[in-house]
Amino acid sequence: MNAVDTLLSQDLGPGKPLRVLAASGQLGYGIPIPAFRAGMERQPHFVGCDMGSIDVGPYYLGSGKLATSDIITRRDLKLVLQGARAHNVPLLLGTAGTSGAAPHLARTLDMIRDIAREERLNFRMAVIHADVPRDLIKRMNAAGRIRALGNIPPVDDRTIDAAAHIVGQMGNEAFMRALALRPDIIIAGRACDTAVFAAAPIMLGYDPGLSVHMAKIIECTSICCVPGGRDAILGTLEGNGFTLESMNPERAATPMSVAAHSLYEQADPLLVHEPEGVLDVSDARFEALDPRRTRVSGARWTPATQPTIKIEGAEWVAERAVLCAGSCDPRVIANLPAIEAGVRKNVDGILAGSASGYQIKFHVYGTGATQLFPGAALPTPGEIFFLVECLAPDADTAKAVAGVTKQYLLHHGFPGRLSTGGNIAFPFTPPELLGGTSYRYSLYHVIDCDDLAAVFPIEIEDVRGDVSVATA
Amino acid sequence: MTPSGKMKLVDIAQVMRSKNAGPLQVTLDLLFAERAHYERALASPALARAEIARRYGVHEDTVQIVPYAAARAIKIVLDRPIVAGSPGDCDVYGAQQHYPLLDITV
Repeated sequence: MNAVDTLLSQDLGPGKPLRVLAASGQLGYGIPIPAFRAGMERQPHFVGCDMGSIDVGPYYLGSGKLATSDIITRRDLKLVLQGARAHNVPLLLGTAGTSGAAPHLARTLDMIRDIAREERLNFRMAVIHADVPRDLIKRMNAAGRIRALGNIPPVDDRTIDAAAHIVGQMGNEAFMRALALRPDIIIAGRACDTAVFAAAPIMLGYDPGLSVHMAKIIECTSICCVPGGRDAILGTLEGNGFTLESMNPERAATPMSVAAHSLYEQADPLLVHEPEGVLDVSDARFEALDPRRTRVSGARWTPATQPTIKIEGAEWVAERAVLCAGSCDPRVIANLPAIEAGVRKNVDGILAGSASGYQIKFHVYGTGATQLFPGAALPTPGEIFFLVECLAPDADTAKAVAGVTKQYLLHHGFPGRLSTGGNIAFPFTPPELLGGTSYRYSLYHVIDCDDLAAVFPIEIEDVRGDVSVATA
Repeated sequence: MTPSGKMKLVDIAQVMRSKNAGPLQVTLDLLFAERAHYERALASPALARAEIARRYGVHEDTVQIVPYAAARAIKIVLDRPIVAGSPGDCDVYGAQQHYPLLDITV
């Protein structure tokens, strides 16, 4: 019997404990091995991993590249594949390749097939795609069945066409459909973190509120513990609650640390909006079973009447070059606004006729360059760092802008100037570096969806030792 | 304790952290080890919505204060002036936006 057949044949349900091992909250940054192995020894009914997030910024969704390195991503994939196959338990992985669009999923699948060949592993793999068709979004937009999630410009056909990739976050429905195909492993494109861990319990009849609440906590592995960390965590779900236990003995899941985790990266600690409903944890109870384990109960689930999909899109903005330099001259530091304005004017003058469509952004560290909000006021520093970001339609232009800015910032004259040898210190040469491509999130919206299966199609692939055959 | 009988927030908060809640908002969490400190901070005018808006230089309508007694925590949610990672952003993860809270006394 394959892994999902085995899971479904064990007569599991609310009367019996279901052990879920969350191996990674962001696969590809190095899964700690001792805790993962300790977790496998506890005979989990399935293993889940989250592999991505929108938090890393728009570059990865836009470019189709992974945020994690090839070497460590392969290491982590190999670890969880070997572990799950050795115990014949299902492995579920969500948001493949950082952002979960087609190129991220393809790259992840390539690595998995390579590992299968190297390790002589055989398994049946379900692959769930998460690229949302542009014409569907346009239709929903025309029908007024789309809404922005906050301050993002309204969507139009141009925005939809210009996005490099558009993904939708799949929910429990997609994973349940994949589980019904009886695979050994499920590799999903962009997915809700919770769906990876909640779909199988809900399918087995466990309470959806408890299933989603447990999923919400364990998807970050041992971050809900004191001290928080990235070690695997075991969630044991029963009829009226669940128990959390880090697989690293030095981490404790305490009632306070688990409750505090409800706040993490959430605007509202009490209500969690998912595609298929809303999780309400206002009546959740957190009780210590012992110094390292906490039992949680009381969450409630309200199913949505209209299924929706959160969509994410990233659009190309510019190519980037950056200039790195520092200064400890008090007169430079005192005259920064005038120096920046003067340098901009001189650079624009030099580049007129040679370059256009560029932007220069001064990030002056020491003077509030980290601060998003205008109210923050830092004390006058003794030393500053210039990170001058030059954005242009192509990399050559961006580098030209950075080079000219370097020279004019170095030698800019201003009243009271002492340092006529140069205003800035370079840490290395060349101090202007190519900084890749700049993208921005252009879509962060919710659309109504009447046919989830059409948006998140599933393929089955039988991966076998040294040969891989697509069967459906 | 300051001469006026107030307590510094940095001395009574166990955690003062900042992070994105999605690419359009930043959330600031103040976690307290002692219930009395949580209640003192929650009751303080220094952590009222208008005062937080003033410290961050933003409009009060873009600020939410969410107490969460189960974790002895006060959450502050701010709308981001720039979508995370867009040109002009300066903190893609939103992890360093707690600075304006550091000198609060309650």
